[in-house]
Amino acid sequence: MPSDPGSFRAYAMRAFDPAAIPGKPEALGGVRVLEVASRIFGPATTDYLGLFGAEVIKVEMPPRGDLMRYVAPEGFFWKEVSPAFLPLNRNKLHVGLDLHPAEGKELFLRLAERSDVVLENLRAGTMDAWGVGYLQLRKRNKRIVYAANSGFGQWGPYSAGRASYDATAQAVSGFSAVTGFPDQPPMKAGFWVGDYTAALMSATAILAALAARRKTGEGQMIDLSQAEAMIRTLDWTWPYAGLTGKDRPRSGNVDPSYPPSGIYRCRDGFVAVSARDEGELIPLAHAVGATDPEEAGIATPERVAAFCATRRVDEVVRIAEDAGFSAAPVRGGKDHYHDPHLRARGTVCSVDDPLYGRVDEYGPAPKLSESPGRVKWSAKPMGWHNERVFGDLLGMTALEMEALARKKVIGKWADIPGARPPKGSAP
Amino acid sequence: MSDFAGWAREATEPSAAAGKPEALEGIRVLEFCPGHFGGMVAASILAEFGAEAIKVEPPGGDPLRLVAPEEIQVAGTGLPFLSEARNRRFATLDADDSAGRDVFRRLALSADVIITTEPPERMEAMECDYPSLREERPGIVYLSLSTYGAFGPDASRSVRDSDVLCQALSGAPYIVGEPEREGFPPRPHEAPTRLGNWHGSFVQGLWGAYGVLAALHFRAETGKGQAVDLSGAESLMMFADYNITWMHTGGKARERVGNFDPAVFPYTYIRCRDGYTFIAAYNDEAFDSLMHIIGRPELSRDPRFSTPKNRVALENERALLEILEQWSGDRTADEILVAVEEYTSKRGGPGAAVVTGRVNRPLETLSEEHWRERGCFLRARDPVYGELLLAAPPWKMSGTPARWKSGCRLPGADNRDVYLGILGMTEEEYRRLAEAGTF
Repeated sequence: MPSDPGSFRAYAMRAFDPAAIPGKPEALGGVRVLEVASRIFGPATTDYLGLFGAEVIKVEMPPRGDLMRYVAPEGFFWKEVSPAFLPLNRNKLHVGLDLHPAEGKELFLRLAERSDVVLENLRAGTMDAWGVGYLQLRKRNKRIVYAANSGFGQWGPYSAGRASYDATAQAVSGFSAVTGFPDQPPMKAGFWVGDYTAALMSATAILAALAARRKTGEGQMIDLSQAEAMIRTLDWTWPYAGLTGKDRPRSGNVDPSYPPSGIYRCRDGFVAVSARDEGELIPLAHAVGATDPEEAGIATPERVAAFCATRRVDEVVRIAEDAGFSAAPVRGGKDHYHDPHLRARGTVCSVDDPLYGRVDEYGPAPKLSESPGRVKWSAKPMGWHNERVFGDLLGMTALEMEALARKKVIGKWADIPGARPPKGSAP
Repeated sequence: MSDFAGWAREATEPSAAAGKPEALEGIRVLEFCPGHFGGMVAASILAEFGAEAIKVEPPGGDPLRLVAPEEIQVAGTGLPFLSEARNRRFATLDADDSAGRDVFRRLALSADVIITTEPPERMEAMECDYPSLREERPGIVYLSLSTYGAFGPDASRSVRDSDVLCQALSGAPYIVGEPEREGFPPRPHEAPTRLGNWHGSFVQGLWGAYGVLAALHFRAETGKGQAVDLSGAESLMMFADYNITWMHTGGKARERVGNFDPAVFPYTYIRCRDGYTFIAAYNDEAFDSLMHIIGRPELSRDPRFSTPKNRVALENERALLEILEQWSGDRTADEILVAVEEYTSKRGGPGAAVVTGRVNRPLETLSEEHWRERGCFLRARDPVYGELLLAAPPWKMSGTPARWKSGCRLPGADNRDVYLGILGMTEEEYRRLAEAGTF
């Protein structure tokens, strides 16, 4: 632990202190984002913007809204909301608005006039066909940054009509083909990595487009395919294919770039062992029983596996720290939930939500010293913020809203788990 | 092609990007990340959007150049480094030497963004830690990347950051891979499984670039710079779905279930005649569509499959997989795609949400015309490094498109450009430092 108050570590504890976050400004304060999206790819994109202070208005189709509301692990809903929906929709304002009728389109255009960013993840061209795509929006607001997230992009042979999920991108990109063991089928990552990776790329491009707008005064369209996003992450897969004409093989749990670095079984769990160069390989070789400490080659995956198999995870980590190679435990959600380090960093955080009470979440990964990200409130039922958005922002009266609700142009939650508020809490 | 698709193609065609302005023009990024892939990714992404990036390598070259799977090297550099060495200047500098430290500090004070993976103690010794630099350059944005982050009980753990460490801690491998079978000794593949690419490092770099852009946005509004602390483990952790909310609300931890899924089914890879393909149809209407497609409409009413909750019971997932593979086993992935598209094109709304896509080997991805037309790959040509096949920036943008501009160069290839051109050294000073081995 730091003892010198002038040291960087002491500085870091002060500068990044999670307890001080509520009093600090937000990086993207003043940026308004309209989301027309469902499931993960689109909602995660705006979640990342909202974590850093953008005001995100999530437009859902009444009365069921985002179909992610009904994706529930083992069918489990908590206070009528799915735990899988919560982490994708923090800090958002939820409105129910049907973009099919003319009055719905006009309301959307009025919102877009007051917004900086529109984010959608419908099938390519759908928003344009509805009359609320980029070409229509920019006539009303030339500063609008319009990000279209899709499986295969807005143009090209596969763009028309093809839907895509996370695992489509995992599959068609080649990502799954290089994940898993050589004598086993390709492995689908058990989390929705093809959505989140692409979502973060989309959010990154949106910030770049906002930087450009500062200079030009004009917005632009961003077309991002989630498969292309995954293709970009596959490091040496492509130059290898180009030079050898071969597919990069699956290599299981040993990293083929840094053998024997990899994931190994211990007596009580799994550990990652890592050695980037001779400076780490030699101590590793020594630890796993090499007689000649200069002989780094002795640290074969088989020797490391045998070494780990008879030890506990914490033993291997301690031996690594003492010896001068690197190791870390393989952790899961339960470990994260109880991890004092992640709690101290706000990476696992508690939000006191006015509707749900305490909700624990993953907080933002990048820690900013002056304008840190934060979770301010949790996802809400369908249409929860209609009055705030249509009333306060667009200046509609209660009577006008009632009339539109009668025509089903705007609406609120269906009376089903996933969409509706907790029992006994509805206003 | 629809009018919109035609417009979009013309407006975002990557081959026309070169003539357009760049989003981050005028932002200088200094990358000091020896031996580190995530740091390279962060700088690459900012540079793809137009930032001016300078990579500082130790004299003789970055240790990451020596990392060479299957021992394949091109002019002394392995493929991982070559895949990410783009859009930047390559300068060498001995940062352990006192003259080198002085040069580094001058470079740092000319930059808008510093990206470093070196321990804070080393940066302090160089007087290039954030508190030192900001005194002279308050607008600087300072990104530091590590395994555990710069503060918190584990921050001082002694590790050298790498992809496999970040993956292990992130919770990702914990939910990737085959479970063990009860009553049998575990087979090698029945283990938490690492993502085969360096996804941990890549996502660390991507979150780093995102954090920098958020900080630059704040600086443009307020004039204030700041420090950005990023853990690679936490970067990938943010993608680990509903781990924490499920623990909090249901007391349940996710466990690995192979190619099954605890929340949505079918959402899996199925065996087909020419390999594997992905199939998903998890809301009720889409599931009904899929049962029609495979000629088993009665299964929509089968109690095992009639609700989303019943479909995600693991024994029902296994039963359904068997049924789906009876249908897919003698069809190719393309035939399955055609069958799905024919049916869903006649059905709008939630019932159209039947999704498929072949599990491509990399060479299969490369053979598809769609990616070629969209400029998804490029062939870099260089007198030293020859021809290299690389992934292009994935974003198509109408105003300030991201783009690939240049590839790898030899260590120090841009020294004159950096030290004379950017730092304004005299020829004499440059020669003196070069002769002293500072570069």
